[in-house]
Amino acid sequence: MKKKIIAFLCAFSLAAGVFAGCGQNQEQTAQTSGVSDEKVQEGLQESTKDEVIVTMPTTSEPESGFDPAYGWGAGEHVHEPLIQSTLTVTNQDLEIGLDLATDYHVSEDGLTWTVTIRDDVKFTDGEPLTAEDVAFTYNNCKEKSSVNDFTMLEEAVATDNTTVEFRMTRPYSIWPYTMAVVGIVPEHAYDENYGQNPIGSGRYIMKQWDRGQQVIFEANPEYYGEAPKMKKVTVLFMEEDAALAAAMSGQVDVAHTAASYSDQQIEGYELFRVDTVDNRGFNLPCVEPQEKDGITYGNAFTADVRVRRAINIGIDRQEMIDNVLNGYGTAAYSVCDKMPWYNEDCEVAYDPEEAVRILEEAGWKEGSDGIREKDGVKAEFTLMFSTGDSVRQALAEDTANQLRELGICVTTEGVGWDVAYDRAQSDPLMWGWGAHTPMELYNIYHTLSDSGIGMAGYSPYANEAVDQYMDQALAAGSLEESYELWKKAQWDGTTGITQEGDIPWIWLCNVDHLYFVRDGLQIADQKIHPHGHGWSIINNVDQWNWE
Amino acid sequence: MKRRWIVFIGKNLIRILLLTICISMVTFALMKASPIDPLQANVGQAALGTMSQEQREKLEEYWGVNTPPIRQYLSWAGDFVRGDMGISLLYRQPVTEVIAVKLSNSLFLMITAWIISGVLGFLLGVVSGMNQGKFVDKLIRGYCLVVSSTPAFWLALLLLMIFSVWLQLFPIGLSVPIGVEASGVTFLDRVYHAVLPALTLSITGVSNIALHTREKMIDVMQSDYVLFARMRGEKGWRLFRYYGFRNVLLPAVTLHFASISEIFGGSVLVEQVFSYPGLGQAAVAAGLGSDLPLLMAITIVSALIVFGGNLAANLLYGMIDPRIRRGGAVK
Repeated sequence: MKKKIIAFLCAFSLAAGVFAGCGQNQEQTAQTSGVSDEKVQEGLQESTKDEVIVTMPTTSEPESGFDPAYGWGAGEHVHEPLIQSTLTVTNQDLEIGLDLATDYHVSEDGLTWTVTIRDDVKFTDGEPLTAEDVAFTYNNCKEKSSVNDFTMLEEAVATDNTTVEFRMTRPYSIWPYTMAVVGIVPEHAYDENYGQNPIGSGRYIMKQWDRGQQVIFEANPEYYGEAPKMKKVTVLFMEEDAALAAAMSGQVDVAHTAASYSDQQIEGYELFRVDTVDNRGFNLPCVEPQEKDGITYGNAFTADVRVRRAINIGIDRQEMIDNVLNGYGTAAYSVCDKMPWYNEDCEVAYDPEEAVRILEEAGWKEGSDGIREKDGVKAEFTLMFSTGDSVRQALAEDTANQLRELGICVTTEGVGWDVAYDRAQSDPLMWGWGAHTPMELYNIYHTLSDSGIGMAGYSPYANEAVDQYMDQALAAGSLEESYELWKKAQWDGTTGITQEGDIPWIWLCNVDHLYFVRDGLQIADQKIHPHGHGWSIINNVDQWNWE
Repeated sequence: MKRRWIVFIGKNLIRILLLTICISMVTFALMKASPIDPLQANVGQAALGTMSQEQREKLEEYWGVNTPPIRQYLSWAGDFVRGDMGISLLYRQPVTEVIAVKLSNSLFLMITAWIISGVLGFLLGVVSGMNQGKFVDKLIRGYCLVVSSTPAFWLALLLLMIFSVWLQLFPIGLSVPIGVEASGVTFLDRVYHAVLPALTLSITGVSNIALHTREKMIDVMQSDYVLFARMRGEKGWRLFRYYGFRNVLLPAVTLHFASISEIFGGSVLVEQVFSYPGLGQAAVAAGLGSDLPLLMAITIVSALIVFGGNLAANLLYGMIDPRIRRGGAVK
């Protein structure tokens, strides 16, 4: 027995030595091969290098697989699904272009969308893509969808090989934006494991997925459109620290990063910033406090529209961006800045004197402690932020500091999401939004008649005109028409949600998405990124190239 | 003899059963009491904003927001007893599959770390104990004290910085080479990628065992039988081999098998730093994402492994110390 144990120990220490030895050999070969690789690259350059390695946050990994029904392409991270093709696409300026679809139109009543598709597209397993596949994809999404909203779809029907009809439950003019994120899956090769081994007709083929680590894509040689310039794309999932380390050791080409790391200098890399609509802002409950079902709705101070106006122009957004985001952000004036449905009337200039004047005029007079009050109501509120989100916390603190100058006392408080929604009905909360669909505008400002106190869902607010414009926008006959109506919902000349209107939400900034990019890599022009620091960057990876 | 074994196994089976039931209940209760909103955590606030009320209700049903907890627990337990661990809500795959993939990654890492820390800790403890008060002893003790107060993730970051970023000797993380297809990944690649994380885990795991072994070694060195042996001229390796080894092994074995739980805990943080896809990461994801079936299964599997570790320690006692095997009380 003794002998056995000792033999085991000896064997193990030997093995350990061997392991260590292997490690060293390995690292040497790795190093030398790295060097020779570089030399080869320098020698042959442009013509040969067509691979790229990109990092993404671990949360970007689609846990339930690359299946549109489970949110691949849409949801928190709206992006092009790469592996699959979509019917439409969003252009640089977020308007709608065509991909699989050759044409689409909607019936007079807005309840039937007819889409014709190309007849020359094949899935990567060689089978042709037909209208049956399209119909199957959408019906499957409707049945199983975990993230995308398909409740407006009644059913999808293929009327012939290249025509598909979407029958709707309600008019939904922005349906083309949904069509831009749903990848078409093959009916013949779809089962519950599809997400693990997706087959599509898109620009890339998913070659391998090492769960929790990386996904390797290879260009689809049969792709019907322009052949991808990048033949191989590797996506790594890691935390920001790890991505930074990866860039510092030169192992990746594009590393995602945050404003707090933006002052790092990495040799051979440049910081690359992308405009976003990834905004932050807070709500101001627009009604006097009232209680229903144990939840308080409304806030005595912010119920005064003049208070909300004063706050909107009393905040120096640029200062906030410089302080909190190291300058990597743009001022936000709405939930949808720079989108086709954005109304530029939302923009305001920083004007503290005017803010003070408005408050004075409204009767909010400064008390002995420097805090304004009116009829016994103090000019104060609690600004909540989600615990653990350092950017939102810093923005809340900065807001508090700036509003203190106006004589408004703001206390900040970290809260969990379990209570945040209910509490936001009476206290402002720091939110983050930004989607490639006007539906967000609708959900923030439109009233919900059958829930709560019959006002907008996230913060009490109601304006019949705004509601009507948005209802009309959804029922509009064309996107162009709907854009105008969405804009009118924001400000129609007399009423809306802007500074001159009811201003129920204050928007602060759009957070830039930052990346360290290896010198020589040309990243194609990005469309404005939505909320979420993930897949958007490689929407057009097929057009990137090395110089 | 045979009957003793049956009683022993029976006792342990009952214990394991009770343990599993209790753990599943506590885990479930904690999960239900946790303030995480599954919709918020998994769908995200921004995505919820683009969603109609109808869709939200559909999702709430999927994540079991409105099902009464007791019914939820009973239905889970019913399936579990029949061997069905359920479908992971997050990964949408059978829980058994998810765990199998993650565990195979983690297991390699944890076993390596566990063995290295055990052997190394034991050796250091013995050397230090036999040389009590000398320079070697002070060095080892100092090292152990420093290491035992070092958080594992900090050490991981440090190693990452030194070996991967500055010296570029090791990869910055992951368990396989970047951008290489599975067919091109060799066993050596895997070892190479596991070196730093395993090293981190073993470095921090060493101190506990080393310090305890050292104490025991000192006790043994002061015992009558060692004094007697020394009187006869035994020293060095022979002294240790025949008089120290078995006696010192007991605390080391106890601690080492009990430390399985620590390696489990440590691996969560270390895997995070090294982007290593193991059970630790899955547990965190399941916990934060309210993936009830997955978290329950991971908890139970971990508990069983830890229980198995303790059981193994019990069995090994008998092998190491004949007095225990014979059922006599240890003095």
